[in-house]
This record gives sequence, C-alpha cells and structure tokens, in this order.
Amino acid sequence: MQTSTRQGGVTAPTARGGRIRGHRVLFHITAVLVTLIFLAPIFWVVMASFRPAAVSLQPPLPPWPSDGVGVTFDNYSRLGDYGASVLHYTANSAFVAVGTALLTIVVSLLAGYGFSRYRFPFRSVVFVLILATIMIPFQSILTPLFLLLAKMGLQNTLTGLVFIYATLQLPFSVFMMKNAFDSVPKEIEEAARIDGMKGVRMLARVMMPLVTPGIVTVGLFAFLNAWNEFLAALVLLTDQSKFTLPVLMTAVRYGRYGSVDWGAVQAGVTIMMIPCLILFLILQRSYIRGLTAGAVK
Amino acid sequence: MPDVQSHPLPSAAPTPRRRRRRGWHGLLYTLPALALVVVFFLIPLGMTVWMSLHNWPLLGNARWIGLANYTRLWNDASFWNALLFTAQYTIVSTIGLLGLALALALMVQHQGRATGLYRTVWFLPVVTGFASASLLWAWLSNVDAGLFSPLAQRIGLTEGRFNLLADFDTAFWSVTVMVVWKMAGFYMIILMSGLQAIPGDYQEAARIDGASALQRFLWITVPLIRQPFALALIMCVAGSMLAFDQFYIILNGGPRNQTVTAVYKIFNESFVSFRLGYGAALSVILLLILMVLSIIQLRLLRDRGES
Amino acid sequence: MKMIRGAIALTALLALTLPAAGTRAETFSLWVRSGANDYIRELIASFEADSEHRVDLQVVPVDEMVQKYAIASVGGSAPDALSLDLIYTPAFARAGQLRDLTDFAHSLAWFDQLSPAHLSVGTFDGRLYGLPFSADASLLIWNKELFKRAGLDPENAPQSWTEIIADARAVGALGPETYGFYFAGNCGGCNIFTLAPMIWAAGGEILSADGQQAMLDSPQVREAIDFYRTMVMDGLVPAGARTDSGANFFGAFANGNIGIAPLGSFAISILNQQYPDLDYGVAFLPGQEAGQWSSFAGGDNIVISRSTSEEKLPAIKAFIRHTYSLAGQKILARRIGIPVRADLAQQALEGLDPRYALSTEAMQNGRTPYSTVFNDLINSRNGPWTTTLNRAFFADSEAEVEAALAAGQAEMQAIIDAAR
Repeated sequence: MQTSTRQGGVTAPTARGGRIRGHRVLFHITAVLVTLIFLAPIFWVVMASFRPAAVSLQPPLPPWPSDGVGVTFDNYSRLGDYGASVLHYTANSAFVAVGTALLTIVVSLLAGYGFSRYRFPFRSVVFVLILATIMIPFQSILTPLFLLLAKMGLQNTLTGLVFIYATLQLPFSVFMMKNAFDSVPKEIEEAARIDGMKGVRMLARVMMPLVTPGIVTVGLFAFLNAWNEFLAALVLLTDQSKFTLPVLMTAVRYGRYGSVDWGAVQAGVTIMMIPCLILFLILQRSYIRGLTAGAVK
Repeated sequence: MPDVQSHPLPSAAPTPRRRRRRGWHGLLYTLPALALVVVFFLIPLGMTVWMSLHNWPLLGNARWIGLANYTRLWNDASFWNALLFTAQYTIVSTIGLLGLALALALMVQHQGRATGLYRTVWFLPVVTGFASASLLWAWLSNVDAGLFSPLAQRIGLTEGRFNLLADFDTAFWSVTVMVVWKMAGFYMIILMSGLQAIPGDYQEAARIDGASALQRFLWITVPLIRQPFALALIMCVAGSMLAFDQFYIILNGGPRNQTVTAVYKIFNESFVSFRLGYGAALSVILLLILMVLSIIQLRLLRDRGES
Repeated sequence: MKMIRGAIALTALLALTLPAAGTRAETFSLWVRSGANDYIRELIASFEADSEHRVDLQVVPVDEMVQKYAIASVGGSAPDALSLDLIYTPAFARAGQLRDLTDFAHSLAWFDQLSPAHLSVGTFDGRLYGLPFSADASLLIWNKELFKRAGLDPENAPQSWTEIIADARAVGALGPETYGFYFAGNCGGCNIFTLAPMIWAAGGEILSADGQQAMLDSPQVREAIDFYRTMVMDGLVPAGARTDSGANFFGAFANGNIGIAPLGSFAISILNQQYPDLDYGVAFLPGQEAGQWSSFAGGDNIVISRSTSEEKLPAIKAFIRHTYSLAGQKILARRIGIPVRADLAQQALEGLDPRYALSTEAMQNGRTPYSTVFNDLINSRNGPWTTTLNRAFFADSEAEVEAALAAGQAEMQAIIDAAR
C-alpha cells in the first residue's frame, strides 16, 4: 500500500480550496460514522462480557457493567463449568491453529522452492493440480474426509484437523511462496553455491531469511483460518475434551438447564476474537500483502 | 503493491533454462504438498463421486444403487428450495458486499494517517471468523437479551419487542447485514489494490480535459479495476454459495427451514440423517454448479476485457 | 505420508501407554447429554468413593448427541457407555451399535422393579439394550406469586386447556412484561415432551403404537394447536418463543415473569436449588376436559457400545449396580426427583419436596413413543415435527394451520416409509 498517487486537495487550485475543505470535513464525518458502526458490535460484546451473570438476560443498554456493579469475570469462569476449563479449549484451538500454521509453512516452503528453482517432470501438472483445489469447496468432500480420517485413526483428533486445514491452505500458500522465491535474485544462490551450499541447507540457511515476509503471510493466514474454522471441527470432533472454541461455544449457548447463557457466549466470543484482532493489528502488512498479491495479478 | 506486481506469473516465468536444475530432484521438494493434496483432496473427491452411486448409511453396509440418488434428488423439493435460497442469498449478499466494498475502497484509496486508520478498523471484522461473528449476531438479534429489538423499542421504532428472527424477511436481512459487516473490509482491500494500481496521471489528464468526477469514475476507474473486481466477484459468489455457519448458528435454518442453504442441506442429509450416499450426490451437484458458475464468470469478464 | 504414519503410530503409542494404571481397576468413558446432569457427577463421585474403577465423564451438546455418537461409532472413538436419551435406544439398537444387556438385566434381583417405560424402549427385537438410568416426567408448572397478583387461587392448578387459557389471560393482564404462558415454539424435543402428553390426554396420537404411522391429521392435534395458537394471538406468549429452539425452554419460566409453562420434573430440583425465591406449583399436564391427564415418560437409558472391550464391562456393570443401590437412588431422588427403581422409591423420596411424589406418579403412568427414526421425525431442528408445529402455532389463518398439518403428516409418513 505504498502507492502515493496524491490527488485531490493537495494539488487543487486555490480557488477551489473552500469547497475541497468542505468535502474533506464531510468525508471525515462519514468515515468516522462508518468506523463507529464497524466497531460497535465488537465493542458491545467485549463490554457486555464483563457484566455480572444476573443481568446477562437483560438487553445490553448500556453494554458496560452498570448499577453499581463493577467489572466481573463471572461469565469467563462460568465457561469452565462446561467440562474442562476454558483454557483447555483455548489450548485445543491454539494447538490446531499453530499446528496448521507450522505444517503449512514447512510444506509450502519446500514446494515453493521446488517450483521456483527446479525443473522436473510433470512440474506444471503438479503445480496446476495443487492450485486447482481452490476451485473445489471442501464442504463437498467432508463425508469422505471423515471416513478417511476414521480409517487412519485420525477421526476425533486435533492432528486430523491440522492435516485437513493445512491442505486447504496449500493452493494459496504454495502460490505465495513460489512468488516469494521467484523474487529472490538468482545471483545470491549462485554465490552461496560457490561456497559449497546446496539442497535443503541452501534453503534453510540462505533462502529462508530472504522469504521471511512470505512465510509470515502464509503462517498468519493458516493460523487465522484454522482458529476460526467451524464446520469440519463440528463434524470431526466428537469428544467434548477435544472441542475447539467455536464448537464449544455453540454448545455453551444452549446452556446447562434449557436456559440460554448469553453471558458465557459473550465471554466466549471475546476469547475467540481477541487473538485474531491482536495478530492482525501486529502483522497487518503481511496480511494485506497476502490479500493483494492475488488481486493485482 | 509494486513489489508483488513485478513478479512474473508462475507458469509463464521466462527463466533461463540453464540455471534450473533438471531431474527428479525438484519433485522431492513438492512431494509433501502433493501428498497432502492427493490424500486429503483427490481421494476424497473421487470417493464423493463413488459414494453418490450408493445407498451408504453411516452405520451398516453400503449398497450400489447406480443413479438412484440422482433421480431422487431430481424430485427432492427441499434440495431445490435450498439451492434457490442459496442463490437468493448469494445475489443479495454479493450486491451488498461489493457495493459497500467499492464505496469504502474509493474512500480509503489514498494515503494518509486517517485513511490508514479507517482502513484498519473497517477490516477488523474480517479476521474474527464466521463462527464468532455468527454467535455475536445471534445474541445481538435475540429478542429478549439482544441489542437490536430492545434498542428499536427504546427509541420508539417499534411498539413492544419485535422478534427479528421469527420472520423470513427480517431474519434474512439480519444475517445479510452481519455478513456485509463482517466481509466488506475484505473486498474493500481487494478493490482498493486495483484502484491504487491505476496510474495517477490518467485521472489528472482527464480532469484537465474537463471530465467530471462521475465521468472519470465510469470511464477510467471502472474499466481499470475490472480484474480485481472479477476476483472479488468470484470469491464472493463462491463464498456465499457455500454459506453454512451463519445460518446454522443464528437461525438453525429457520424460520421453518426457509434458510437452509445447500451446504446445510448436505450437512443434514449426511450427518443428521446419515444418508451419506445421498449427501454425496448433493455434493456432486453443488460442485458442478460452482464450477460452471466460476467458468461463466471468468469467461464473461475475460471476453469483455479483450474486446 | 510419513507424517501421517507417524501420527498414527503416535496415537497408537499413546493409546497403549495411557491406561497402564492397573489390571483390575478400569476407567471407562461415559457420555451424557448437556443439561441437568449434576446428579451424574454426584453419582460418579459416590461410585468412585468405594470402588477402584474410574469414570471418564464427557458432556455432549444435547442437540448433537445422536450425530456425535453415530460419527464416533464409525470413527472407532465411541464411548464405552452412554446415558442416552431413552428415545434413541431403538435406533442405535437397530443399527447394531449397542451391546445386548438382556442376561445382565435378568441377573439383577430387582429387575422387575425397574421403570417399565425405559425397558419398553430399551427393547429391540425381543432383546434388551438399555437399562433405566434417569427419569424425567412432564408436568405443568405455574407461578404462584403471579397467580396471586392476578387474583387467581395460587393453590389451584388449571384443570383443562380452557382453564389454562383463562388463567394465562389473567396473568398476562398484569403488565407488558408479564406473560401468561411459555413454550419453546421451535423445539421438537420440548414439544413432544410437553404438548404431546396433552394431546394424549385428550385421546389423540402423534404416532401409532408401533411407530409405523404418523397421526398428525386428527381433531385432537388440531385443537391442541388451536389452544396454543389462541394464546399466541392474544399476546400471552413472549415474542421469543417463536424462535426458541429449546435454549430457553426452562429459562423463560425461571425468569419469574411467566404464569404457566408445561415443563418437566427436572425443573423442580433446579428451581429449588437455583431459584429458591420463586414460588411455584406443579400439576399433571391436563387434557381438554378436566380430569384427563398424561405425561411423557422420559429420561435416559444407560447403554454400552458394542465396541467396548470385555475388560471394561465389570466396571460399567458395577457402576450400573451402584446406580440401583439405595445410595444411588437417593441421589437421583434428591437431584432430579424420580428414582427409577420402584421398590426403593418411597425410601429414597423420604423427607424430600412432596412435589416429587407427583413426578413419580406421572412417570409411572406416562408414555414413551417408540420409533427407530425418532430424531429425523421429532427432535431434528429441521425435521417435520419441529417445523410443522412452528408453522401452525404462529399461523396467520386456519388455512395455514391445515396446510402445515397436511404437509407435516405427509413428510413424517415419508420418513417412516423410507426407513422400512
């Protein structure tokens, strides 16, 4: 997003200055309004999650804890009533997300390097094959995936989910990593080869540091998608102790006694959202790069 | 994105041959990726087709029935209703999403501290995930403990509490608004990268020639962002056609099964009623429809680009 | 593929090393549905206190029990034992997923004292696959405080549908935030549990006795729908009822602003423990005429998966025996109000809330429908029973009700026929 085609107010003739300034004010008013609307739901749920359980059936007007009651963590601790503690389920989600990110990085790093630097039989066939999977929705192959995992003993395991999620990430990730390697000048490699580097060592020592931005992007996308995925986790995980956060939360919503527990839902939604928001804010550039790489092509 | 833009396209890379090593060595590097794709994609894909030709209960033995699942599907009104609803949702959400995304992209295409901030905030809902966003919306739309109905009542819009999720129209719009809120930032970025790739002097030259803002938008901006727009359109249509989480979590497919989407129907057949074979047949049809849609969109947008 | 094989090897290794605790003491996994299940925790605690065996309890979302169990069975990760909604015993027995418990059951000295409703749905093809574990009968509950304020006799339960409507009107007139009646309008399970008994009491049916005929097309069903629909149209039911898929089935009444709600015996103990200030009464679910009543005999059967290894059977059987002991039945009585062993009922209920006695009577005279496709017909969120009722309860016209019932009848029969 480094494009700096400055237009509008800056280069405008002075005669139009007043109108332009008016436009700018109007622009910012609109933009701030839109910003508030976009932020409101997130703000509301985070605030409401700190209300005491007793008022969680009342409308969130206002959303923050009021009527002399301070901030409470009741809603968060009540999440723990559902079998194991909420930390346990967060750890499940984290395992799946981190595992997916690592597996995706390793596999796409190798594949990206191979496609970028080697010429081998069926090279383009394999490349197209991997990219083409993006055309096929995984939802349509969920049943056989389930039977296959059952055969491998991976049904109802977090590891099984990691394999599926990583596979789903491959078209995007392999494409990203190949591009990243393509942009590394060949001369660097030549120089390293003269020093006696080759194969995997070359990849690890010389090339990897040069494609770090690509690795971060690929890992970030894999992490977020795995953290948030719902349908496959819903179908493939059967033991409560294995549930990831999204699956747990749909269950928590139905409460314990045929009475809905919105407070626990608010706490759960907050726990699910916050890591994503933080990661995005830190690694914004990598994320946007991943998105726009495809768009400009 | 100049740094990315300058990369050669993967398959058309005009790299000098002598620098590349030949032989099977390279295949070794791509083998893990290939293995994952074969095991977790190609084999299941083949199995889907195979299963669709069977009566395949979850518990018990599968029985070959040829095309019977497909003839049954032909007469299954609930599947066609689900497809029809999915199409309706796809059209409405695509128009809403891309319309808003384009407006937002136009607002934040230029550099500046404030626009950078707007861009970041508008993008935030994208990273939250459909399950969390849906749960959040299920709460906000709840008639007793949520936000929308009580708020409407308090400011005098409605007399008494109005249950948003009880009628098809309001339930449908509530979910669509959620999706637009959640995904607009995503398409905004894609469209924005297209806008930014338009050289600034095009606009400048047109302005000097006396073209109005609207004229410049129609004759310069629109043609030049066709490619990112095509990408956004394809992603948006494919994403909406596969919608499941929001309708499962917020509406349970209700009111009265009117918001059961195609994927939801497949899920119900396969994992609630355990008719795996029939579910597979529905999957095959959905898959074909999606591929045809993608091809049509690519054709349309490419043809116009060449003429 | 190396990675996959590695993962398999790793899981296998874990599976081998984990239960190395001892040879005699076994740990078996037990699934229960989410909801009122505190009694199970207490039961397990008292079992483990004087046994070397251990129970690994897993709570499964109530709506997903059937899916999860079937999927886990195929995936080879089925639990060793389940506290299964008794209604599903025929379906899983038919699919060959359950262990035959006939011989074990007859070895129990008190076998003829066990809840007959549980045993009848626990039987498939003459063999017994499920044994009574917990019981739940449907009852009518009313808020005495609101009755008093509305000028009604707080000690007098409505005796018929017309009386329910009249009382609900009186309570509803108290204010905009007070409602006469509550039911979960988008929940098949809740309505088979509460509405169906009122239809039975009036002489109607939902399914034929063998489960092979859908019987929605009857005057009793029509009048029951009309009974609910009248209260909906009069604004006596909160707007949230229309989209309640069971999540707020009990919660709405516990909130304290509902006059009357058809619930179950489970509600008594939760109200006593968690809402001690709520003054309520319980009665049988009435029919159209005063004096008619019925109940759904519900609850859970305990079943054992066919895949469960022989080594674990003694532990599971010990747990079942413990449940049937006086100590076990006392926990059931205290926590959910209904023992499942008749000869110990009086002893177990001694000194407890007298309202529990009503639950036990309702249970003994209650009915349990028998069907191998119960989930598809009744409980599924997108099944015909749920959608038909939702459409009919909130219909704008009589014609709409008729259309809904006709469509529901046809759809239910189609599902039954397809499963034959």
